[in-house]
Amino acid sequence: MNKGLRGVIFLLAGYALGTQLFAGLAFFVSGTYNPFDVSSWILAIVVGGLAMLYGFVGADIFKTALFKGLAGQVVGLLAGGFFVTIIRAIMGLEPFGRFGFSEPAWVFGGFVGTLTFITGSGIVTDWFKWSKGEETPEHHDDPEGWRKYFGVSLDHKVIGIQYAVTALILLLFGGLFALIFRAELANSGRELLTFQEYNTLMSLHGIVMIVSILIGIGAMMNYLVPLMIGAHDMAFPRLNAFAFWIAVPASVWLLSSLALGGFDTGWTGYPPLSARAPVGMQMFFLGVWVAGWSSILGAANVIASALRMRAKGMTAFRMPIFIWASLATSIISLTATQLIGLSFQLVMFQRLFGMGFFDPAKGGNPILFQHLFWFYSHPAVYVFILPGLGIISELLPVFVRKPLFGYRWVAMSSLGIALVGFVVWAHHMFTSGMNEYLRVPFMYSTMLVAVPTGVKFFSWVATIWGGKIELPTPMLFVLGGLVVFLMGGLSGPPNATVSTDLHLHDTYFIVGHFHDTMFGGYIFPFFAALFYWFPKATGRRLNETLGKVQFWLLTPSFLVKTFLMMYVGMNGMRRRIADYDPALGIDFLQLLTTISAYLIGLSVLVFLYNVFISLKNGEIALGNVWNSRSPEWQVPSPMPAHNYERDFEVVGEPYDYGLKGSQYVKFEESGD
Amino acid sequence: MTQHTEVMAHGGHADAKRQGVNIFIGLAILTVIEFFAATELPSVFLLAVIALLKAGLVLNYYMHIGKLNANDEAFDRHTHAYKTNTNRLGLWLFLVSDFFVFAGLLVVRFGLYGSEHIHLNQVLGLVVTAVLLVSSFFMNRAEVSMAQGDRKGFIQGTLITLILGTIFLVGVVFVEWPIAAHEGITPDSGPAGAIFYMLTGMHAFHVLTGLIFLGVILRNGLCGLYTPEKHFAVEAAAVYWHFVDVVWIFFYPALYLVGLGG
Amino acid sequence: MQKLKHFLIAGALVLVVTIVTDLFLRAEYLLPVQASLQSVPIDWLFDLQFRIISFLFALITVPLIYSLVVFRRRAGDTEDGEHIEGNTNLEIAWTVVPLVVVVAIAYIGAGNLAEIRRVDPQAMRVRVIGFQWDWRFEYPDSGVVSNELYLPVNKQVLLAMESPDVLHSFWVPEFRLKQDLVPGRVTEYRVTPTLEGQFKVRCAELCGVAHATMERPVIVVSQEAFDAWIAQKQAESAAITDPVELGKRLVAQNGCAACHSIDGSAGIGPTWKGLFGSQVPLADGSSAPGDEDYIAESIKNPNARIHAGFQPNAMPQYSFTDVQIANIVEYIKTLR
Ligand code: HEA
Ligand code: HEA
Ligand code: CUA
Ligand SMILES: [Cu+2]
Repeated sequence: MNKGLRGVIFLLAGYALGTQLFAGLAFFVSGTYNPFDVSSWILAIVVGGLAMLYGFVGADIFKTALFKGLAGQVVGLLAGGFFVTIIRAIMGLEPFGRFGFSEPAWVFGGFVGTLTFITGSGIVTDWFKWSKGEETPEHHDDPEGWRKYFGVSLDHKVIGIQYAVTALILLLFGGLFALIFRAELANSGRELLTFQEYNTLMSLHGIVMIVSILIGIGAMMNYLVPLMIGAHDMAFPRLNAFAFWIAVPASVWLLSSLALGGFDTGWTGYPPLSARAPVGMQMFFLGVWVAGWSSILGAANVIASALRMRAKGMTAFRMPIFIWASLATSIISLTATQLIGLSFQLVMFQRLFGMGFFDPAKGGNPILFQHLFWFYSHPAVYVFILPGLGIISELLPVFVRKPLFGYRWVAMSSLGIALVGFVVWAHHMFTSGMNEYLRVPFMYSTMLVAVPTGVKFFSWVATIWGGKIELPTPMLFVLGGLVVFLMGGLSGPPNATVSTDLHLHDTYFIVGHFHDTMFGGYIFPFFAALFYWFPKATGRRLNETLGKVQFWLLTPSFLVKTFLMMYVGMNGMRRRIADYDPALGIDFLQLLTTISAYLIGLSVLVFLYNVFISLKNGEIALGNVWNSRSPEWQVPSPMPAHNYERDFEVVGEPYDYGLKGSQYVKFEESGD
Repeated sequence: MTQHTEVMAHGGHADAKRQGVNIFIGLAILTVIEFFAATELPSVFLLAVIALLKAGLVLNYYMHIGKLNANDEAFDRHTHAYKTNTNRLGLWLFLVSDFFVFAGLLVVRFGLYGSEHIHLNQVLGLVVTAVLLVSSFFMNRAEVSMAQGDRKGFIQGTLITLILGTIFLVGVVFVEWPIAAHEGITPDSGPAGAIFYMLTGMHAFHVLTGLIFLGVILRNGLCGLYTPEKHFAVEAAAVYWHFVDVVWIFFYPALYLVGLGG
Repeated sequence: MQKLKHFLIAGALVLVVTIVTDLFLRAEYLLPVQASLQSVPIDWLFDLQFRIISFLFALITVPLIYSLVVFRRRAGDTEDGEHIEGNTNLEIAWTVVPLVVVVAIAYIGAGNLAEIRRVDPQAMRVRVIGFQWDWRFEYPDSGVVSNELYLPVNKQVLLAMESPDVLHSFWVPEFRLKQDLVPGRVTEYRVTPTLEGQFKVRCAELCGVAHATMERPVIVVSQEAFDAWIAQKQAESAAITDPVELGKRLVAQNGCAACHSIDGSAGIGPTWKGLFGSQVPLADGSSAPGDEDYIAESIKNPNARIHAGFQPNAMPQYSFTDVQIANIVEYIKTLR
């Protein structure tokens, strides 16, 4: 039978089976059988997806690291769970809980499952060998074809693509959640979802999107940093693979919370509410914790690579601007991420061992959690955007054929944003009841972030001004990102001044603010990067027409969506509510918002279709498609396994477009 | 540049040993001063200064933070020395990251409990602290011995460190914890208990991983896998061990001494 | 010359766009009515912010779009653009000027904050209890307890707010102010209503399942009407001695209806209609008689015996006295 057809049939059959499988599991938990249970219908996508893979490639899929890891994860989860259950039974404690295992059993099983994923998939095999004093070859040869993407590869380009695909899958999941709960919000009154289902989907939407971003910037940095600095790979290829692969079990844990009662705290997980939520809360904590390690280790690798692996002559101010952005981002990820891990760990322990960190009844302090949480989560928003802004700075000169205006200032502004970003966290807590006198200093520090961000904007405009502008799809996304991010950024200061924030806090104004910043700073540049570097990775171009269709579907509907969000927010629409007061008179605007949301979803589908057809039939593009000066475009596409066959030396400035006879890199005459 | 020649440059075998001893004595004296400062003159600031001093000594002389400064840009990227320097950078980046966990825990300690005293057993606290401090000294001996090609010294040093580390771990988890629990400080008894178990627990977890690391280098050392030129694993284990010690340098006053005299 | 022309046109366009945008971005169009003294300076600051935003938005987007139109690559042109690497003076300018602007905004913001936090020592005190998922308001001077917040106009009121369970947030959009309720401590909210009318307090901090429904009327009336209301409330509560009525009032004040229906419809908790005297199916498969003991126990310790089909830990802890519980049970008994 035709492979594609078989895949589709397996997908449908697996999906149908999956829905009833999970609905059946839910029956054991709640005692009621609901064949249309939302959680089951979402989780079944995973079953359907795996079945489809099986349909496409047959039994070979069982030999891949991905499958072995996932199988290991399930086995580990069960083994750990049963272990704790038995111990509890022996100790005379209640061995079971509402979701089969007791809560400690689920958590311990989760830890064991993560470890068994790691060992099962084989990402640590080399390290085990090293610890026994065995040597391993510096590189392993990847299998040909699709298989290398499902296996443990040490090639940063393969890992970069693995990251990108994972990020897109999570984007689809997160987007799907948004589309589901946006349907509920289309008018007042509650029709589709229960409160708990709404809260869970909304919270998962937030965190899945955020993890998707973290993985997405991992994709960009992994793929691009070694290419741009002229290295053969990252500084620590095994650590690189490890950092990617643990993001997989992390994502699985996040989704698994759907089956364990969900969680209703938003992505912020504030206690005391998070100390009371169902077991799904713990899976959320665990997932974020593991994803956090992925981010930390990835960041360490980027820093080490950028500091130690640069080509000859590439001094700090001759690095491509994206490297500066990656460095600034990585500094934040490396350090601050530990604090979100810690804050979540403390709530986990509060639930498991009754340690009253945030429980006022036990002398705890709920506001302390918010400090720890935002100490990461504010800088994290700059993690989301800095690589994206780096992409904007990187692509603008190419498409306007002028040097990047004020290269040094743009480079330094990335560091400036990152560093100032460390001291502004409490602007999320103006209404929290923290010490009142802290509010004004945090207002000042928050406002300061506008300065380095402004330097970027003004330099971009100066770059564009008087250039010879071309508008292929990547440039469209760059410009769209710039404008959208500007709207997001400018909606920041009203949140930052305390008295206006007293009105805006926890309203849809904030929701509008951060969708603007995250789309402008990440989603748009990410798509720009995908369009721009797709030929480098595949040797084919993405379809321009479809790209433009996608852009013109996405941008107007997105602007409508966030503008309406801000408007209804100012008028009294709170965040995180499944239903709103019809007296607000915003039903029609909400309907418009929902329609725009579906158009955005459609634009993403157009992109997927584009990738699908372009991989097979896209226009062949082996050369310097965009006429760029960057080193990776000076060699034919697609890039060979160990990057440059001949090393290069940096002999000029990176963005000297328009300077006759200038050169950025010079390749050595013979092989190294 | 290898380890060997670096140490030689500092002035030979005997000097390295003397330096290790001097630093150890310095640390011991500071710890005594710290204890009496806490009982006589209750000031968190003073305790912080002393802890920073101690940490500075360990960072500089035991962990050789200065080695990060290796100016080897001009060297061939494919040499072992260049790669070792890269690995060292990676190790330190990891420690920087890990440092934030412990900093966060200290914030939790002071955020929840101010500068109030936690009523723990002072004798036990001092004993485990001393044990960990001594272990750091032997760790340093082991590493220096390896760099100087003294395999026997290396094995001895590592073994003693391993034993002392195990004593520390057992002392905290199997002696202090039950005693504290017996005196009513349990994880769910309130902020003091939550802080005590969380901080010592996270630290103990790092001690445990350090011990595993030490076990690995001990085994590989016995198999003769390290040479004075090539023993980055030893250095990494040692730096990690000292890092765990540095953490304790801050945790000890934060847990046992703050508020003692007041 | 050519260059200067472009600058001038773009500059003029920036001005036009700023003015046009600013016409639409006005607090009076974008925000609900002003109903408190504090909302006046806040809206003033909103207007200032919107004005700056309008200008900056124009300043960036106008040259951008202008460039796209004017500097677009003409067909057949293969030249690169002009080689301009940067301009340090410009960079310094657009670092320093925004720096001054943001510091100024923050300075103004601090003054603004001080203005809205002005304290009237004569402020009327009201105790606010926000709990999952309702509000209760207690007037200590008169002993009145209500689920509606009545406030006299033009008089500062100090809300001393407490939560027994999780975080909540007190927000009346027309007042512009918002303050979280934190379990274990009392947070304060000062406001001076200036407009008579009916508004709503909307809980603005995610507080669990039914967060969306946590809204209650806030009614601002004249001093006389307020006094009359207090008097009426006092008389009402003095009149009630019947345990059923007392129970009914407790139920209303504590928001039980958010989860338990009295007409048999489904909710987060079991309905009370017909509960008393029925055989209650329990989550563990057994059943219990729905008598006084069972109901009283379920109020005191909701997780003790869970009704089949409902979730544990869904119900908050209350601190009712035994008499109060007995009254509530009496009330539930009447719901046949
Ligand atoms: C990518 C993510 C991203 C980015 C880049 C930003 C950028 C900024 N954010 Fe945002 N923010 C979020 C994501 C982001 N934010 C998220 C996710 C939340 C909600 C979290 C939650 O509760 O779930 C949030 C919430 C949030 C709050 C809390 C609101 C509340 O809950 O009450 C505040 C308050 O100060 C704030 C402020 C700012 C500011 C001042 C900036 C600045 O960095 C913006 C700087 C940029 C500009 C100002 C524009 C360009 C500059 C110029 C043209 C120069 C001249 C400018 C001036 C003179 C003003 N943000
Ligand atoms: C990158 C981050 C990101 C992105 C891209 C988005 C994208 C979208 N977000 Fe949101 N959002 C957040 C981050 C993000 N979001 C965060 C952090 C929160 C806060 C959560 C909290 O409060 O805790 C939030 C909250 C949030 C809310 C507020 C909820 C509430 O407070 O109650 C809303 C409401 O409209 C919303 C809407 C949307 C919509 C309509 C999209 C759309 O753009 C989505 C477009 C759709 C797709 C991209 C999917 C297309 C897929 C398909 C068509 C199906 C195929 C699927 C499969 C096969 C799996 N988001
Ligand atoms: Cu109470 Cu939301
Ligand atoms: Cu922030």
